[in-house]
Amino acid sequence: MTLLLIVLLPLVGSLVPIASARSGRTTCAWLTAILPAIALGIAAWYTPAVFGGQLPQVSLDWVPALGLDIAFRLDGLSLLFVYLVLGIGLLIILYARYYLSEKDSMSRFYAYLMLFMTAMLGIVTADNLLLMWFFWELTSLSSFLLIGYWSHLSEARKGARMALTVTGAGGLCLLAGILLMGHVVGSYSLTTVLEHRELIQQSSLYQPILLLFLLGAFTKSAQFPFQFWLPHAMAAPTPVSAYLHSATMVKAGVFLLARMYPVLSGTDEWFYIVTLTGLATLLYGAFFALIKQDLKGVLAFSTISHLGLITLLFGFNSKLAAVAGVFHIINHATFKASLFMAAGIVDHECGTRDIRKLNGLWRYMPYTTVLAAVASASMAGVPLLNGFLSKEMFLAQSLEAQMLGGLSWMIPALATLGSVLSVAYSLRFIHDVFFNGEPRDLPKTPHEPPRYMRLPIEILILLCIMVGILPGIMVEPILRAATAAVVPGQAPEIHLALWHGFNLPLMMSAIALSAGVLVYLLRNHIYRFHRQFRAVNARQSFEFSVQRVVRSAQWGLDRFENGSLQRYMFLLLLSAVIVAAFGLMDVPSMAGLKSLQPLDPVVVTGAGILCLAGLGTVMLHRRRLLSLLFLSVVGMFVSLTFARFSAPDLALTQLAVEVVTIILLMLALFFLPQKTPKESSGRRVSRDILLSMIFGGVIASLNYAVLTRPLQSISTYFIENSVPGGGGHNIVNVILVDFRGFDTLGEITVLGIAGIAIYKLLNRLRLFMPSSDMEGRPWSPDRYPVILSSVSQTLLPLALLVSVFIFLRGHNLPGGGFIAGLVAAVVIILVYMSRGVEWTQRRMSFNYQPIAVTGVAIAALTGLGSWVFNKPFLTSSFGHFDIPLIGDIELATAMMFDLGVYLTVVGSTLMILANLGKVTTPHRPSKEKQ
Amino acid sequence: MDLRFALEVAVSALMIAGGIFAVIGAMGMVRFRDFYMRLHGPTKSTTLGVGCVLLASMSFFWLKNGHPSLQDMLITLFLFITTPVSAHLLTMSGLHHKLPSAPETKGQPYELDDEDDIARN
Repeated sequence: MTLLLIVLLPLVGSLVPIASARSGRTTCAWLTAILPAIALGIAAWYTPAVFGGQLPQVSLDWVPALGLDIAFRLDGLSLLFVYLVLGIGLLIILYARYYLSEKDSMSRFYAYLMLFMTAMLGIVTADNLLLMWFFWELTSLSSFLLIGYWSHLSEARKGARMALTVTGAGGLCLLAGILLMGHVVGSYSLTTVLEHRELIQQSSLYQPILLLFLLGAFTKSAQFPFQFWLPHAMAAPTPVSAYLHSATMVKAGVFLLARMYPVLSGTDEWFYIVTLTGLATLLYGAFFALIKQDLKGVLAFSTISHLGLITLLFGFNSKLAAVAGVFHIINHATFKASLFMAAGIVDHECGTRDIRKLNGLWRYMPYTTVLAAVASASMAGVPLLNGFLSKEMFLAQSLEAQMLGGLSWMIPALATLGSVLSVAYSLRFIHDVFFNGEPRDLPKTPHEPPRYMRLPIEILILLCIMVGILPGIMVEPILRAATAAVVPGQAPEIHLALWHGFNLPLMMSAIALSAGVLVYLLRNHIYRFHRQFRAVNARQSFEFSVQRVVRSAQWGLDRFENGSLQRYMFLLLLSAVIVAAFGLMDVPSMAGLKSLQPLDPVVVTGAGILCLAGLGTVMLHRRRLLSLLFLSVVGMFVSLTFARFSAPDLALTQLAVEVVTIILLMLALFFLPQKTPKESSGRRVSRDILLSMIFGGVIASLNYAVLTRPLQSISTYFIENSVPGGGGHNIVNVILVDFRGFDTLGEITVLGIAGIAIYKLLNRLRLFMPSSDMEGRPWSPDRYPVILSSVSQTLLPLALLVSVFIFLRGHNLPGGGFIAGLVAAVVIILVYMSRGVEWTQRRMSFNYQPIAVTGVAIAALTGLGSWVFNKPFLTSSFGHFDIPLIGDIELATAMMFDLGVYLTVVGSTLMILANLGKVTTPHRPSKEKQ
Repeated sequence: MDLRFALEVAVSALMIAGGIFAVIGAMGMVRFRDFYMRLHGPTKSTTLGVGCVLLASMSFFWLKNGHPSLQDMLITLFLFITTPVSAHLLTMSGLHHKLPSAPETKGQPYELDDEDDIARN
């Protein structure tokens, strides 16, 4: 369980800077550093065990049904990365304390940084592929926040978006690969997957899996042709670049290569794809690193180049090459982090990163010059430094690669070329910036940075030198442990030593060093050559393609969603007709086996009136008020139908809903023209008539077919369980608040949202109000008829009492929260109408939004309450209670839930009404005007 | 027995009276000439009719179940509250819209006079 803390502590740590934001910058930095430091201590505590060959693991269920567990492991590779992530992370925290200016929010920066650190630690220690992917996407998201930290700069925003798009898309590829791999292996556990190399490689899905995993790794590690996002991510603050592009973000890609090396490598596909991509990236990055004029741009491209080198090493299909790859991961992290920090110091102290302006800085900052020079030398692969060792291994391994047949000599040759360029740009980084004359129009006078800003670089440089001189003591144990995880089975012999005698790799190194100097001296020719090409701005072309995608998506969407409600209705009905018609055509005959019920004259009359009223609504649709009256007749008869067929709850609800709907529609109609102009062409009308006739016919036959067949419905279950299970005799209400409580919760949430949306729409809307109706008749001076208003006022308490009564008895007799809420709403609406909004709101001076929200909250909390008793969500409980004066009474928790429904209905309905009313009030002509 | 018979006669009488009132109200709706006169039918006659039927129903179930039923009482109460209100509102809007009145209609409210009269008020 202690293992869990390595990931959890930084996660908790992301809250620390926010909590300590007020306590000063230095304190904030120190407090932030505490938790990762503890995590580092835990990792150190595990180190002897890991070196001894043990594998600490921890596993908790998360979503077992998906195969997703919170499972972590700490093998050698994980341990190495944990050290890198936490160690360099701590140095970055210290460095950022001095780098960030007073204007930047330090707590926000640290919070993002810690979140990112958590995500990285999650990737490297996850023992479940899905969990690893989860953290993988979390790095994309948190790096988006970090790169876009200076969100006021368009450059930073666009760079962050680009990084997110590319790495996020790669992450989706990775997810697809993981799902396929889980399908092949039957488990997402990394431990299991790593044991099934043969199964995966012999599966027909191996190629898609490999391709998808590599896409994920290459996008993250900025491999060619996905390298374009990395230079634009340089818009981030330098501590972010130093962290993301040395030890973490981009290393996640090569970490994935190393992690999956045991199962995916060893095939021809692996060799060709990985090697060629690595080689292309190595050369591409190295060339552009030589060209760039921006200090961080040089470092960005050199990072791309070195990542290509590591990828290339993993592609060689040789165990020693994989060891060299892991080794170079360490070395690159140390020297690149220090170089970025040095570049940050130069930028911080000089105010520019333009190499053409920066010259001869050694006079101003000799100490930083030395540090940067050592780091650069390590990057170039100068002996006595760590970069030299891994570069030697790299060159030696390139000689071993034989897969290209007769052209295999090209690999060492191109590898040497890459090294030559690497020497050249390292030299350029030092010589152009720190020597080479005097600085030209710098915004600031450069000077040495604060003492502690240099400290992280000093520590890293010290590591570079120590590893370079004493590799056997410094890195061999951890390298051995990491190698054991990457290359299982027979461990390759690792000889880390400065001196291997005169051999071919040493000669290649010598060539690289001397030719590198030569290339640097002749750099002007390269610049001149490069100037022939038109500069391509990756950001612009990226934005262009993104916008093209958006436009075409919009175009596609517009075909379906053009804002015409008529069209939506047409499509909806059409598809319903098609589905229902096909279903009906499968049935041998429309009539089923059940005999028909005798015709009842009352029902026939009612049905006739219903039909006629429906027809009237449609025929008179252009005279809106009349049409609305017919609609109310339809609603009235529907509720009578419910009453006739023994559904008193439904009848009551329908009646109340009908009243509220018609009133709200009337209020809305007030703002619309009294008559609708004729808009539809004859062809369209006949099309619609045809469709509605077919629709009516199909639905009627469907009803007939269903009703004439014996049906085994679920209602018996509800009838049997309503009293023992829900404690209520009113089955409809028990279904609403208990059996289907979750549905109801969803519905009242929607109702609440709809109410708030209408409130939002109407809130600022002020409509011009004509002073007379269509025929030029002024509004009646008697705005609030006295009989109506006094009656409604008298009725208010009475009806509220009725609503409470209906609410209370709802669980056992017809009624319930929904109906009661509607009754209360109706009577309050009546008061609103008879006395006007102003009068009413003076007396009922509260907002309805909180009521609706409280209702949803009460219902949700009642549901959650059952968790306290270890029951599933929305389990209801009931019992008999003996209350003095009232007597024996049955109370159910469902009543609390019903109360939530009640409040939501009242709140939402009145929210709509009161706001519709407010739209009109200020402009209504009043008596005084005449 | 006698009392029961007498009550049954009363219930039947109420039922018949209610029916007659309702028919008269409906006939009034058809026969009267203008809006103002027609309003009398549903408001006065029919309300009386429904009231009679409700009274009959109330007494009947009292007789049958042995205890009075409150619901019918409430219906009656609400009926007597709502009818005047809707009648009043209908009349008001009729006057506001200046619906024409038949010559037989007695009494001319000022709303139906001239525009100037309204201005005076």
